[in-house]
Amino acid sequence: MEMIHLILIIFLGGAVLTYFAGKVNDILRDALFILSILVPAILFFTNVNPESYIDLSIAGFNMKWGITHFGWIFSLIVLGLGVIVSFYAVSFMKGRDKVGSFYFNFILSIGAMLGILLSQDFVSFFIFWEIMTWSSYLMVVYNGNQVQKIGIKYFVFSAVGAYAMLMAIVITHSITGSFLITDLIAVFPQLSNQMHILIPILFLIGFGVKSAMMPLHVWAPGAYSNTPMAYTSVFSGALSKMGVYGMVLIMITLISHIPEGHWFREVIAWMGAFTAVLGTLWAVAQDDAKKLLAYSSVAQLGYIITGVAIGTELAMLSALFLSILHALFKGTLFMAVGAIEKQTGTSNFTEVSGLIRKMPWTFLASLMAIIALAGIPPLGGFVGKWMLYESLINSNHYILVIMIFFSSTAAFLYCYKFLFGFFLGQEEKEWAHVKEAPALMVVPMIILAAGTFILGAYPGLILSPIDAGMQAIGFEATQGHYWEMSVILNQWGDQVVLQPIVYAIFAIFLFFFLFLFFKSRKNTRYVTTKDISSSGEVPLEHENLTFSQNFFQPFLRAVEPVMRRQIDKYYNEFGRGLEAIFDFGRRIYTGNGQTYAIYVIIFVIILLFFKNNLFG
Amino acid sequence: MVGSPVLFIAIPLLAAFIIPLLGMIWKESVRILPGLVLVYLLTLSINLLGYVLDNGPIIEIIAGWTPPWGINLVFSAFSGFLVTLMLFLGLLVWIYSYRFKRNVDFEPAKKYFILLMMLITGSVGIVLTGDIFNQFVFIEIVGISAYALTAFYTGRDSAEASFKYLIMGSLSAGFLLLAIVILYSQLGTLNMADIARNIHTVKPVYKITALIFFIVGLGIEAEMFPLNGWAPDVYSQAPGPVGAAFAGIVVKSGVYAIIRIVYTIFDIEGAFDFLVIIGLITLLFAETAAIKQIRMKRMLAYSSIGQMGLVLVAFGIGTEAGVFAALFLMFNHAIIKSLLFYAGSYLVFNSKEKYINDVSGLGKSMPITSFLFALGAFAIVGLPPFAGFWSKLYFLIAAADSGMIMIIALILIVSIVEIVYYFRVVNKIYFSKKEAHVVPQRPTFNALFSMIVLGLIVIIIGFFPDLITGILHDASRDLMDKTDYINNVLSITH
Repeated sequence: MEMIHLILIIFLGGAVLTYFAGKVNDILRDALFILSILVPAILFFTNVNPESYIDLSIAGFNMKWGITHFGWIFSLIVLGLGVIVSFYAVSFMKGRDKVGSFYFNFILSIGAMLGILLSQDFVSFFIFWEIMTWSSYLMVVYNGNQVQKIGIKYFVFSAVGAYAMLMAIVITHSITGSFLITDLIAVFPQLSNQMHILIPILFLIGFGVKSAMMPLHVWAPGAYSNTPMAYTSVFSGALSKMGVYGMVLIMITLISHIPEGHWFREVIAWMGAFTAVLGTLWAVAQDDAKKLLAYSSVAQLGYIITGVAIGTELAMLSALFLSILHALFKGTLFMAVGAIEKQTGTSNFTEVSGLIRKMPWTFLASLMAIIALAGIPPLGGFVGKWMLYESLINSNHYILVIMIFFSSTAAFLYCYKFLFGFFLGQEEKEWAHVKEAPALMVVPMIILAAGTFILGAYPGLILSPIDAGMQAIGFEATQGHYWEMSVILNQWGDQVVLQPIVYAIFAIFLFFFLFLFFKSRKNTRYVTTKDISSSGEVPLEHENLTFSQNFFQPFLRAVEPVMRRQIDKYYNEFGRGLEAIFDFGRRIYTGNGQTYAIYVIIFVIILLFFKNNLFG
Repeated sequence: MVGSPVLFIAIPLLAAFIIPLLGMIWKESVRILPGLVLVYLLTLSINLLGYVLDNGPIIEIIAGWTPPWGINLVFSAFSGFLVTLMLFLGLLVWIYSYRFKRNVDFEPAKKYFILLMMLITGSVGIVLTGDIFNQFVFIEIVGISAYALTAFYTGRDSAEASFKYLIMGSLSAGFLLLAIVILYSQLGTLNMADIARNIHTVKPVYKITALIFFIVGLGIEAEMFPLNGWAPDVYSQAPGPVGAAFAGIVVKSGVYAIIRIVYTIFDIEGAFDFLVIIGLITLLFAETAAIKQIRMKRMLAYSSIGQMGLVLVAFGIGTEAGVFAALFLMFNHAIIKSLLFYAGSYLVFNSKEKYINDVSGLGKSMPITSFLFALGAFAIVGLPPFAGFWSKLYFLIAAADSGMIMIIALILIVSIVEIVYYFRVVNKIYFSKKEAHVVPQRPTFNALFSMIVLGLIVIIIGFFPDLITGILHDASRDLMDKTDYINNVLSITH
C-alpha cells in the first residue's frame, strides 16, 4: 500500500476508533487520540517524498495525490501544530462531556487538511476541503451556545465559498476536460477574457472565506471564540492557512500567467490591507480574550493576504513566513486563553486580573507570543513584518505600507490589553485559588513560543524550505541566500552578527526563569498593588486600583466612525430580505385543494398559450 | 434467465388479494407474506438485471399478441435499475413498518400491507410497461392505493390530504387520457415504440398538445411545480414509511413516465429546455417554502419536491452525462430521503403537532436515530464523503459541460438554502434544550435495522461510488438510445 493511503487511513480509522474507545476507557481514548495524529505525522515526514505522486481513479475521476515542495511548508504547520496541540487538548478536555466527538472531529480535520495539501486534483481537493469544513463546523457548535446563529453563519459562509470553488472547478473541467491543478495552470493563459476574470474570482471567494478576508470574514469572530480553545489554536493557526495555501497555489500561479491579472492582485492586496486595519480596530475594542484573538487572527491573515497578493518574491517569502509564525504565536495565545479559561472559568479581561504570579508559565508563553505578534525584535514577527514592509515599498505600494504599519502599531494596543488584562493589575481575592495549568497544557505552549524565538534568531531555518517551495511554484531561486533579499537581514540577519543580540536576549529570559525559580523558594515580601503607603492614604480592601473596563476609550472614540459600519449588519439585512421572499414561496402553497386545482388549469392554459415558444 | 418480467406485476398483485384470505387462517401471515414476496422479487430483479446487462433488454409479450398490437413489458438496463431500486425500497418499507409500533392491530396491518402491495405493483408496472394505455392503468392503481394510504390514520387532516390528492389525481388522469386519445386518434396505436417510430408523421399541433397534456398529467405525479400542491399535505399526513414510499417509489415512477415520454416517445427538442426551466422553478419554490416550515414532515416533503426538481433539470440537460447524473440523483434521493423520513418520523413520533421544535435535545435520548438523521442531512446537502456528494458533482459537471453556468450558480445558491434548514434541525436535535412535553420513542428493532441499512449505504456509496456508477452508466446509455428501444420492441416476433 502507498504511504499516502496509509496515512489517510490512519487518520480516518484513528478518528473512528478514538470515538468508540471513549465508550470503553478514557486513557485508551486519550492515547489513541494522540497516536492517530502523531503516527501519521511521523510517517509523513519520514516516508513521503515531495514531488512524487500516485494516481488513483474513483468514480471515473482521475485523482493525483502527492505533496509538492510548496505544500510541504503548509504540512509543517498542519501536522506540527496538530501534534503539539493534541497533547494540550488531552489535558484541556479532561472532565468535559462529548470528548469523543471532539477528538473525532479534531483528528478528521487534521487529516482533511493534510488531504488538501496532498491533493493535486480538484475533486479530491474539494472533497477534503468539505470534510475539513464540516468537521470544523462540528467543533464550532460543540459548546452548544448560539449554534443557530454562529454555527449556521460559519457553515453558510463556508458553503458559499465552497460552492463558488466548486463552480470554478466544474467550469474548468468543462473547458480543459481535466481536474488536475497543473492542467488548469497550463491552459489558463489561453482562456477567454471572461474566464480570466470569472475563474479567479470564484476561487478567490472560496479561499477568501476560509482565510477570513474582509467582506467574507463575518463568520470568523464568532466561530473562533465559540470553539473550544484547544481546537481554535488549530482553527486559526492551520485551518485558516488552507485559504492562504489555496490562494497562493491557484490565484497567484494563475494570475501570474496573464498580463491583465495585475489589477486583480491590487484588489486582493487592498482587501487584505483593509482586513488588517479593521480587524485590528475591532480587536482593540474587545473585552473578551477569545474575541480579541479572533479579530486579531482576522487582521493577521490580512497581512498575509496582502503579501500573497503583491506576489513579488520578497512579499511571498514574508507572507509564507508570517503564515508559519502566525500558526506558532496564535496557537500559543489561544492555548493560553484556554488554560486561563480552564483555571478561572472566564476569558473576560474585566473579570480576571493579576494572574502573573498564579500562572507564570502561561504568562511567559503569552509574553513571547505577544512579542512575536507585535513584531518586536528579536522574535520572528519582526523578521516577517520587516520583509513585508520592504516588499511593499519596493513595489511602490506606499499607501498599503501606511495601512499595514498603522494596523501593526494599533496591534500593540490589544497586545498590551491582553497582557495587562489577564496577568498584570491587582490580584483579587476571588482568584486566589487559581493555580498554574497542568504541565501537559503548559509545555505545548512553551514549545510553540520557543519556536517563535528560534525563528527570530535563525529565520533561515524556515526560509530555506519556503524558498524551495516557491521555486516549485515558479518563482526564481534566491541563490540560497534568503536573507540577502532583505535590507535588514542583509546587514544584521547574517547569523553571525545577530547572534550576540539573540544571546543577550536569551540571557534576559534566563534571568527571568531564575527569578521565577528562586521566587518560589524564598518567602519574599511582595509589594502588592494595595501597598501604596507612600501616598498617605491607604486604600481599602474593596477599592480597585487597576482598571480593565473601557480600555483605550479615547482611541476607540476616535475610530468609532470607521467601526460603526458593520458588514455583519448588511448581511443580516440581506438574510432578512431573503426570508421575506421565501415567505412568498410558502404562501403559494395555500393548503386549499381548490387553489391547487386552479393552478393546474392555469398551468395548462399557459402551456397551451405559449406552446409554440416552448416546444415549437 | 430465471424468471420473466411479468412476475413483477403478477406476484404482488396476487399477494395483495391473497393477504386477507391468508389472514383468516393465520394472522401473522398478513405481515410475513409481503416480505417474502418482496425478497423474491428483489432477487429476481437483481438476477434479471445482471442478465440484461450482459445480453440486452428483455421484451416480454403479454397474451401472445406481438407489438404493436399487444401489451409488452420492457426490462432494460434503465427500467430494470429503477425496478430494482423500487423493490429494494419497498422491502425496506416493509422491514420498517413490520412493527411500526410495538403493538399493531390485525385489521390496520392487513389494510396497510394490501395497499402497499398494490402501490408497488402499480409503480413497478409504470416503469416496466411498453404500452401507453397500460401505463395509464398502472398510474390509476398507484393513485387509488396512494389515496387510501394517505388517509390511513383516518383523522380529519389525513382525510383532507387524501381528498386533495384525489382531486389532483383525477385531474391528472383526465389529462393523461386526453393525451392518449390524441395520440391514438392520430396514429392508431398505443405501443410506445410504435408511437415513437411514427411520431414524426403527426402534425405539430397535435403532437405538442399531447405532450403538454402528458406533462401536466404526469407532472402531478412527479411533483412538478405548480402541480405539486398535494404533496406537502400528503407527506405530512401519511404514516412515516408511506411518506418514504411516496418519495422513493411513487414519485420515481412519475418521473420515469415523464422521461420516457420526453426522451423516447416524442421528438420535440423544446421539451428538454422546458424540463430545465420547470425543474428550476420547482426547485426554487420548494426549497424556499421548505425553509419556512415549522413541521418536520412538511419540511421533508418540500425538500423532496425540490430534489425532484433537480432531477428534472438533470434530465433536461439531455446528454448522457446528464441522464447519468439524474439517475444518480434519483438513487441518492431514494436512499437518503427514505432515511430522513424513517428517522424523522421517530423523532417526532410522540409529538402531536409534529413541530420541528419538538425534536430539540433528542440527541441524548435517541442517539442512534438522531445520528442517522444527521447523517441523512449531511448526505442530502451533498457533503463529502457521503453519497449525496457524488451525484451533485456529476450533475454540476454535466451542466457545466453543456454550458449552463448561470443555472449552476442558481442551483448552488438554492443548495445553501437547503443547508440552512437541514442544519437548523440537526442543531436543534443536538444542541437545544429538550421540550418538556416530548417523550422520546425508542424505535423498534426492525425499524432501526432498516435505518441502519440505509445509513450504511449512504456511507459506503460515499466512499466507493464505483459500486453504483457502472450500472448507472449502462442505464443512462440505454435511455439515450432511442432507436435501439424501438427496434428491440418492434422486432419481437415471439
